[in-house]
Amino acid sequence: MLSRVPPQTLRILALLLVLFAVLLFFSTQVPNYLNGRLFNRISSSVAIMALIACGQTLVILTRNIDLSIGSTVGFVAFATGSLITNNPDIPPLVLATYSVLLGACFGVVNGLLVAYARIPSIIVTLGTMALFRSALVEYSDAKSITTNNLPTWLVEFPNTQLFTIGTFQFRAAFVVAVLVVFAVHIALTRLRPARKIYAVGSNPEAAEMAGINTKLVVFFTFVLAGALAGLAGFMFLARFGTITVVAGLGFELKSVASAVVGGVNIFGGSGSVIGALIGAILVDLIDMSLVRWQLVSEFWREAVLGSLILLSVAADAILMRRLVKWRVAREKKQTKSGVSS
Amino acid sequence: MKAALNRLQSWEGFLLCALILIILMNANLSPQFLSFSNQINLFQLSIEKIIVALVMTFIIINAEIDLSVGSMMGLSACAFGWMVQGGAPGGLAIVICLAIGIAGGALNGWFIAKVGLPSLVVTLATLIGFRGLARVLVEDRGINDFPEWFDALGQQGFIGSIPFALFAFVILFVALYIVLQRSGFGRKTYVIGTNRAVADYAGINTGRHKMILFMASGLVSAFAGLLYAARVGAVRGDVALGFELDIITIVLLGGVSIFGGRGTLVGTLLAVLIVLNLRNGMALVNITGHIQTGVIGLLLIGSVIAPRIDLTRLWRRPSGDTS
Amino acid sequence: MSEPVLQLNGISKHFGMTKALSNMSISLLAGEVHAIVGENGAGKSTMIKIMTGIHQPTSGAIKVDGATRVIAGPQAARDAGIAAIYQEPMVFPDLDVAENIFIGDKSSGILTRPAAQRKRARALIERIGIKLDPSRIASGLTLAEQQAVEIARALSQDVRVLIMDEPTASLSAHEAEQLRKIAKTLAGQGVAVVYISHRLEEIFEIADCVTVIRDGSHISTKPIAEVTSDGMIAEMVGREVGNYFAKAASTATDEVIFEVRNLTLDGVFEDISFDLHKGEVLCMAGLVGARRTDVALALFGVTPPTSGTVKYKGQTTHFTTPRDAIEAGIAYVSEDRRKLGLAMPMAIKSNVSLATLNDFLSPLGLLDRAEEDKVAHHFSDRLNIRTPDVETPVGMLSGGNQQKVMLAKWLNLNPELLIFDEPTRGIDIGAKAEVHDLIRTFVAEGGAALVISSDLPEVLAMGDRILVMREGHQMGILDHTEATQKAVMMQATGQMQEAV
Repeated sequence: MLSRVPPQTLRILALLLVLFAVLLFFSTQVPNYLNGRLFNRISSSVAIMALIACGQTLVILTRNIDLSIGSTVGFVAFATGSLITNNPDIPPLVLATYSVLLGACFGVVNGLLVAYARIPSIIVTLGTMALFRSALVEYSDAKSITTNNLPTWLVEFPNTQLFTIGTFQFRAAFVVAVLVVFAVHIALTRLRPARKIYAVGSNPEAAEMAGINTKLVVFFTFVLAGALAGLAGFMFLARFGTITVVAGLGFELKSVASAVVGGVNIFGGSGSVIGALIGAILVDLIDMSLVRWQLVSEFWREAVLGSLILLSVAADAILMRRLVKWRVAREKKQTKSGVSS
Repeated sequence: MKAALNRLQSWEGFLLCALILIILMNANLSPQFLSFSNQINLFQLSIEKIIVALVMTFIIINAEIDLSVGSMMGLSACAFGWMVQGGAPGGLAIVICLAIGIAGGALNGWFIAKVGLPSLVVTLATLIGFRGLARVLVEDRGINDFPEWFDALGQQGFIGSIPFALFAFVILFVALYIVLQRSGFGRKTYVIGTNRAVADYAGINTGRHKMILFMASGLVSAFAGLLYAARVGAVRGDVALGFELDIITIVLLGGVSIFGGRGTLVGTLLAVLIVLNLRNGMALVNITGHIQTGVIGLLLIGSVIAPRIDLTRLWRRPSGDTS
Repeated sequence: MSEPVLQLNGISKHFGMTKALSNMSISLLAGEVHAIVGENGAGKSTMIKIMTGIHQPTSGAIKVDGATRVIAGPQAARDAGIAAIYQEPMVFPDLDVAENIFIGDKSSGILTRPAAQRKRARALIERIGIKLDPSRIASGLTLAEQQAVEIARALSQDVRVLIMDEPTASLSAHEAEQLRKIAKTLAGQGVAVVYISHRLEEIFEIADCVTVIRDGSHISTKPIAEVTSDGMIAEMVGREVGNYFAKAASTATDEVIFEVRNLTLDGVFEDISFDLHKGEVLCMAGLVGARRTDVALALFGVTPPTSGTVKYKGQTTHFTTPRDAIEAGIAYVSEDRRKLGLAMPMAIKSNVSLATLNDFLSPLGLLDRAEEDKVAHHFSDRLNIRTPDVETPVGMLSGGNQQKVMLAKWLNLNPELLIFDEPTRGIDIGAKAEVHDLIRTFVAEGGAALVISSDLPEVLAMGDRILVMREGHQMGILDHTEATQKAVMMQATGQMQEAV
């Protein structure tokens, strides 16, 4: 029976269980923990990371990695900010589209180098991470974007309450992020061309043999990741208002962490963006809860995060091995008894 | 003579020519450039990264990667500050910091060699984890009351005007060169990186070898962290943040293949000199630090693409790579 | 008689100096199960690669439905309706069965419609005649089930010629029976099935006609009614008597150095027993899937056996790593020199010293390069390795010389037992003879050799005794006095008409 339930679903259920357990645990340790305020704070900060983790997931699915995603976010945030500062009349949708397209351009650079020049993604994105960051510095001329110069609709957008359930405020930024992630999820599960992403990551040789244009698929995932990073840049600008040259620094690691914790297989081929979303929530939740937990200094955040990643990847790997052994044993049993299922 | 010419036709030879070119350009820009003190100064400002790059060379040749080196540098520096501030004797603190380095490396090594996880993911996790531990110790404060002799070691000349760090670098370089090029361990490093299965079948204990490498990486990173703390005179939670990227870039630029099995310490050293002189030259024409980093990033990508284009066939010694 | 679906006319294929196929002609008719038999290296896989567009013929023509066609690549083969399945299925482990089948499908539109896809998958699976739940994840399937998925995929692309290359080699009896049924069913539906197998009983069960090939050439094509297993075997091995390898005198002693009893690795091989004497060459013969290499790897400590005993020089051993075996004086020369035998970009001398690295180290751990040089030159001379110098990267040498470098690596160990896995595969005749001489010299000087080989003349020339394996079972041990190519082949294919 276990072989019939998609492992992905199992993983997501397990994640939700862990989420639940963490909430339960901290509610016993921290007074006034489980309330609307927690939800609101987490949802605001997760909105940005969810998009980035989503993009990173797409890249990881094809057995690659994108370390430049943080620099993309920073650059787009700045460029968008400077655009609207100088042209305050640009309508919101146009501005957002600008961010997405700009991010996609960065993705094109990565995609070309990885898919067509066939340079390992770790090298390419190490290089473009530095490159994009320096482009930001050059472009910004060491000035920053400040909130004052931004139109009010932009600054208020993230916190606009779309609806509330009791004390849980569903704010625009969070809702948009979740909708986008779900849209990507639906695309990945319902669009035939998108399924090729999984095929390429699962078995690249078989994909080639089956006639899939693996280069195009890989290229496309990088472009999409860039686009999502662009949107995240837009949200980043809206949330923080003040953009300096260090905007987005460190996001790439957290996005990989969110994806890995969320069940995306680092070897490619399996994983869902919903998992990455939950991973991002979990990571942020633990982060924020540690801050409020009196027993342990807030400075344990990163240490805990690092251990979390190690444990999830190790657990995944060991589980996979168990699964393989179990399958071999089952085959053997069936072979002996002459039955095939 | 023929052997020397032959060697010149390799990637290292290419780097050497590039370096000479850059130095000449810089000398043109500023007459002081070629002065001894300037070169030493240049070198010294990045000496900690350079030291770690030496060990990183081994690791990448071995077809692995260690992203946690910067964080270990930070952890070791912060641990030292924390202990010393708490009243521990400096010498003891140093020993403990080095032990932390070995332990951290062993942690990496265990997950990579024994559990079999990819080094990219493991060291990504410890990158975050070690940094986290550093922050636990130092929180958001800065610590700068180090023992005087410690500060002196970092900031003043050790032998004549040559700082201790430079001295340490030279010794380390010579020692590691001998190990990589002349010892059994170095030979194994190359073989395992070329083809791990071949090494396994030949009876080499590849798991233990990797464990040793990562422990060495941890140790040297811890050492470099201490050097950095001594030179700067203070530590904060974000000390050495992001260093790993520079270090890996330098090693890859130096001709070490990300796939393993190829590269030399000389190449790494040349790459270091190129990067330092290039940065210096760019600074002389008022290009800022971040842009410099961008140029280095471009250089990195270029260094991987270039061998694929036939132009540099002129430079490459025929490689034994047949598939 | 209708037009053949696929026809090869006078196809030749050269790889450099090697002739893989010579003037091969074959006609495949719709609705027929056409069996192809031949020993290892006869040219079957090259032929398949040409049919599926992976290789291009050096000369000759391919005709599809009577019209000449160039099959430029795998896509062109797919377009022509030609598909192949192999022992190692190419599935996507993370996707489910239905998706595996339809992943490359161009006709299904942009939405996935999983329910409809599963329905289509079920229909295809039914056509094949087995039971398989289309929503199962491929990684959880057995090998046989994965093969079925591949067949279903071929069917979904309107396959007209389905090539099955040793498909039952790794399957259980029951699963193999199912697969044969599938082949028959498909032929009944009009597919031209090419069935490559060395299980002669299978061929009699399902084939409509049989083609025998040997040394890259077409030997015969006959309807099944005219075929006998004796005849097939004779044609498979029939060479001019007066082999190019002369049998040297045996140097086997009575001293047993290696005693293997009931060696078993669950699911791979079982009940292997033999004695190996000092000075003896024991050849392990068999066809694809015989699992000889697995036995060797178990003896060498790579995959320790599940049960059975191994006594080396009278002592029971239990090797768990190659290091253990090496230290005991056992060496394994692997069959895949590219992947397991040599570090291709590294120098000859670095490869030669690899297994004995510790011997070249000073107390401080430094390599004695001069010594390494000396040893490399010594072997270079002794084994006649043709190379400008010992610094040359091994990857630049010819196959034969590479093989010799690999040998040098292991000879340097001064082993008492050498396991050779296909020692002369892919090297020219002159080098083959040299390798044979080396093996002979080795055992003459007191060593013992276990030689795994698919080259029958080689087996007969080298082996003092010949152990024949088939699908993980030991069929028998022939003494060289009673061994003929035919006798070996009969055991290898399971035709045990002559009791051992």
